[in-house]
Amino acid sequence: MNHEITHGPSFAVLKVGLQRGDVLTAEAGSMVSRFPRVKMRTRINAPRSAGFFGKLGAFLTALVRKFIAGESFMVNDFSCDEGGEVTLAPTFSGTIAVRKLHGDRILLTRGAFLACAGDLQLKMRWGGLRGLLAREGLFFMEVSGTGELFYTSYGGTLEVPVNGTLTVDHGHVVAFDPALDFRIRLPGGGFLGLVASGVGLVMEFSGRGAVVLQSRNVSTLASWLTPRLP
Amino acid sequence: MQIDLQHRPSQAMAHVVLTPGESVTAESGAMVGMTPNVQVQTGSGGLLKGIKRMFGGESFFRNTFICSQGSEVGEVYLAATLPGDLVVLDVGASKYYLQNHAYVASTPGVDVDTRVGGFKTFLSGEGLFVLKTTGQGQVIAGAFGAIEEVRVRGEYIVDTGHLVAWEDSLQFRITKAADGWISSWLSGEGLVCHFTGNGTLWTQTRNPSEYGEEIGRRLPPRES
Amino acid sequence: MQTEILQRPDFSMVRATFERAGEAIVATAGTMVSRDTSVQMKTGLTGGLLASAKRKLLGGESLFLNTFTASAPGETVYLAPAAEGDLAEFRVRSGESLFIHSGAFLAGETTVKLDTKWGGAKGFFGAGMFLLKAEGEGRVLVNAYGALHPVDVSGQGFICDNENIVAFTDGLQYDVRRIGGMKGLFFSGEGLVCHFRGRGRLWMQTRNPARFAAWVHPFRRVKAKAQGGD
Repeated sequence: MNHEITHGPSFAVLKVGLQRGDVLTAEAGSMVSRFPRVKMRTRINAPRSAGFFGKLGAFLTALVRKFIAGESFMVNDFSCDEGGEVTLAPTFSGTIAVRKLHGDRILLTRGAFLACAGDLQLKMRWGGLRGLLAREGLFFMEVSGTGELFYTSYGGTLEVPVNGTLTVDHGHVVAFDPALDFRIRLPGGGFLGLVASGVGLVMEFSGRGAVVLQSRNVSTLASWLTPRLP
Repeated sequence: MQIDLQHRPSQAMAHVVLTPGESVTAESGAMVGMTPNVQVQTGSGGLLKGIKRMFGGESFFRNTFICSQGSEVGEVYLAATLPGDLVVLDVGASKYYLQNHAYVASTPGVDVDTRVGGFKTFLSGEGLFVLKTTGQGQVIAGAFGAIEEVRVRGEYIVDTGHLVAWEDSLQFRITKAADGWISSWLSGEGLVCHFTGNGTLWTQTRNPSEYGEEIGRRLPPRES
Repeated sequence: MQTEILQRPDFSMVRATFERAGEAIVATAGTMVSRDTSVQMKTGLTGGLLASAKRKLLGGESLFLNTFTASAPGETVYLAPAAEGDLAEFRVRSGESLFIHSGAFLAGETTVKLDTKWGGAKGFFGAGMFLLKAEGEGRVLVNAYGALHPVDVSGQGFICDNENIVAFTDGLQYDVRRIGGMKGLFFSGEGLVCHFRGRGRLWMQTRNPARFAAWVHPFRRVKAKAQGGD
């Protein structure tokens, strides 16, 4: 399997060339185009398990993923025995990045997952009680195993190393090192800050590791749009 | 007339330079700025055409920008609503179909007509209508995202939300994304456009409806 | 304080690096991406709470601003606007003020004074937007929705759609009107335009926020209707 990320950094798309035996698992709804001979199989977004209870568990996990974490209920597996190409795109403008995992882990924020291939496990992790204060809850996707992960950002990305503690608006976090400790806090800035600062929940990272930031934030966009609506 | 595309590929804007007497017609609301020697005329280009446009979800009116007689050239800056690239298509021997919302502007010799795209396009959420451009001149089409030019030799499948324009030498069929109706719906891919034949098509790298849904659900609900 | 604009031109974000403790940058609410946790953040209104209340009564407008103050040299703050597009840094000098659309002001040095009650501010834009006058000495960071396009105005002048105005220099005369005559009044879809005359520079943005808001409007959820009587 080979891949090419084109039209970055602002409207990046992912082109994947599939060979016999390759399977690309992608977020439902992300396909732009494909060769007609590429097969697409839709399945529930949960780890596969055998047996009825396994399937029921998978169904419920997928429901949780959909309604609470915002990941799609279904994913599409693309494969092509005769060799073919599929193009995927995320919803927002921004970049697509690829990360090769060799038995290590990475944490992604909701909505950042685009596609993956290889032997990767995707698990939902909860951000803690304070995370619920964020309008959409605070869930992270832990990706581990061996394979390739394709994730997206709204805006451009910048990897910032943590030296001491770093406070980041949670809407601007794309991915981070699982070795980092983090706390979810209200923005601070005094009494007025609570209401008026406009900064959403912040994540305070400490330890050693890197955080990938995105330079735009969907919640801020929604707040910006609201007074301008007809 | 000169058309110069600036700020490509993501925030493209067309800079049109008109000699006295020349004009360009644009989508309602497309003007960013212009020199004061350009007059704006609002019209429908024909009652029937205007009505058909409304069925297609577009505005009844279009604006025509005319450079006044005199010695100076007139300039008009035009842009689409969503961020992305622009492409200028030469209409003449080749005729093009445009996705409804991709139209930004055209020169007077081009006839832009709303056509029924087929019942299935309605189900896809992209609307029932497409625009057909014929005549002689240029059309400026805008995309949401980057524009990819694809030379189709045989066949190709594109998600309907990612279509910008295609040559009329291509046949197209709207089909389900997967084999069954339920799996198509579940796959999130909805309807796709299956092109056959030889010709060029233009895709956009982002899907406006998907984007609109994602933002729309984070906004306060509306009255009606 | 060093400023660096990153992720140009579509998702521009600024990194401000403080050189001394006590240095500060003032930014519009909602624009913080991240900061070193030791940077202090205080929220206020232009001119302070009481002055703002008075201002509202007298017809001016206010902006919620966050002041970020360094506690040690080398600390950084990352700021980004809500909408995608470019950022530019301008220098304001005494006698050389800059008029900025309130939605386009991202941040500035504390030595720059923002006048929001200056007459002529109203009627320019809709929905609580207004024209700011930036005076004094120092840097201001201005954002655009889309690309930032400068136009040198002279001779016959230039007409710009109000929604596309980002900033313009002192010394330009401006005249707000509708285009297209009577039919244009209702149907052209062009709204208000501004005819600039004199000598100076105007910066336009290639995207129109009102048009975008109108485009997104049909995607909003519909309010549930009230059941029967109240």
